[in-house]
Amino acid sequence: MIKDKTFEFKNGGDPDVASAVAAIRSLLEFLRRDQSETILGLRENMTQAIRRLEETDSSVAVSSGGELFLRFISLTSLEHPDLSQCKNVMIERGELFLKKISLSRGKVGKLCHTFIKDGAKILTHSSSRVVLKVLENAAADNKRFTVYVTESQPDSAGKRMAQKLRKLNIPVMVVLDAAVGYIMEKVDLVIVGAEGVVESGGVINKIGTYQMAVCSKAHNKPFYVVAESFKFVRLYPLNQQDVPDRFKYTADILKTVKDLNQEHPMIDYTPPSLITLLFTDLGVLTPSAVSDELIKLYL
Amino acid sequence: MPGADKETDLSERIESFLSELKRCGSGAGSLRGSAETARETTALLRRITAQARWGNAGELMEIIRKEGRRMTAAQPSETTVGNMIRRVLKIIREEYARSRGSSEETDQQESLHKLLTSGGSSEDNFRQHFTHLKANVIEAINELLTELEGTTDNISMQALEHIHSNEVIMTIGRSRTVEAFLKDAARKRKFHVIVAECAPFCQGHEMATSLCKEDIETTVIPDAAIFAVMSRVNKVIIGTQTVLANGGLRAVNGTHTLALAAKHHSTPLIVCAPMFKLSPQLVILLYKNYFFVLILSKVNAHCPVFDYVPPELITLFISNIGGNAPSYIYRLMSELYHPEDHEL
Repeated sequence: MIKDKTFEFKNGGDPDVASAVAAIRSLLEFLRRDQSETILGLRENMTQAIRRLEETDSSVAVSSGGELFLRFISLTSLEHPDLSQCKNVMIERGELFLKKISLSRGKVGKLCHTFIKDGAKILTHSSSRVVLKVLENAAADNKRFTVYVTESQPDSAGKRMAQKLRKLNIPVMVVLDAAVGYIMEKVDLVIVGAEGVVESGGVINKIGTYQMAVCSKAHNKPFYVVAESFKFVRLYPLNQQDVPDRFKYTADILKTVKDLNQEHPMIDYTPPSLITLLFTDLGVLTPSAVSDELIKLYL
Repeated sequence: MPGADKETDLSERIESFLSELKRCGSGAGSLRGSAETARETTALLRRITAQARWGNAGELMEIIRKEGRRMTAAQPSETTVGNMIRRVLKIIREEYARSRGSSEETDQQESLHKLLTSGGSSEDNFRQHFTHLKANVIEAINELLTELEGTTDNISMQALEHIHSNEVIMTIGRSRTVEAFLKDAARKRKFHVIVAECAPFCQGHEMATSLCKEDIETTVIPDAAIFAVMSRVNKVIIGTQTVLANGGLRAVNGTHTLALAAKHHSTPLIVCAPMFKLSPQLVILLYKNYFFVLILSKVNAHCPVFDYVPPELITLFISNIGGNAPSYIYRLMSELYHPEDHEL
């Protein structure tokens, strides 16, 4: 049943919705239909549902959305020990939470576009809806700028991003992933999205982001990350190997392939030392401020 | 009528303050240094609280915001004015929350936790009237003024921990905070100071003269010699005009060069800045502050007044509340200002 719901929300539904938001929406629906008698039973059902969701879509965002939802349940159940009352409060708060986080992309867009100056040349990686929103806001502000997008193999997501930007009348050029070092001297700033923001203040994003960050550091260009706050995840990777396998590869590959060493990972980890600023709906944060936010939530 | 007199008196004072601010940009006004500006701004805000007509906290905040916007527009490069206004707005919010008896002071910031647990609109629009609010706010502003008076002393008290005997310290231009810092250490330690003169106004010369009066061995060097001399320097101690939200600095021109030279030689760079210089802004338009110097009749020289120094080049911030790393500035800022006041 949960699988039908997720398919309904993700494939059939709005492609503009972030995967974490779709996951949380389906979990909320699951919560509504849940029949358990105790809060512990409810939590167990939720955990199972989240696991099923991760089997369908193994991205970091879904995992962070799921964990946030579990946290949400625990916090609410602490305040209202009676199950039926608790459920009503949860559903009400869940709706409010959903409403707030669907607005977060707009908030990020508003914060970031002031950093784009007239005549700027921006480099971005792969296809990110948040970066698109930021560039949309900047264009609406009558700023003139050019965008370079990396192709981002293996799924050529960069080409899709370029199409969307062309529709907004923003001059855009697609470059090879290998051309990042070549193009870095021309650009003024780098803006990327994130699939997950980790505790250290680093980000997990499409493969190739780390490369871009190292290059921009070498050329002294600011490297900005735009992400909504529900992408904050409780991971602390120290290097690329530390990122769990379940995030690196798509769900289908995890299920079918025996030797993961032969597969190419879809994401990489960018350490906080390479990131200049993070733009989130909680404000503009330095990488050191991210762990503060996570502590406030989980402690 | 006494009420009308108070109002005209208040608006007169505000106007005279605004004209002082406009003049201090050209160096002609009586407001010398950010400490005085901060004190004058806070005193004026206290007067506004006492004399303006307002019924509840929301109205007071509106009045202060309105006057605040005028003040920052009068002299955009003087960021302490904006900082003090934001401090006072935070004071009003805190006093209001305390009068309501709620513990909301800790929950002021947006956070993931708040997103998850807030049920329904807990929107506080500050419309409730409290009789003691005025007295409480004025008392809190008085505390702020006392804090402002003591900032230079608090910073100087930490001097002995950072300056050791027979050290060579480099500084640039003239900063009253650094001057007091060095003079305090000189009472007990013997050390050598190298001052970069900081062309074209050469304020370093005044700094050197002032330090010499306290029997501190001082050397003045031209800005071009900074890199050459840096290998002999143990520490660099500088002041700044503003501390930005990411831990970077907006300081007198030449500071970025100094910071890069210090980084190259792995020399620690210490910034002495009182808390009222901390600004929640990240991007301050730098290219508007220029001086034009006429050398020959056909040559114009553009001279930027301020430099941006990125946070990676700074080792330590010494403020009136102690020493902090640049990566911690965001935390200090969240304690001083409310996020909704970042934009006045």
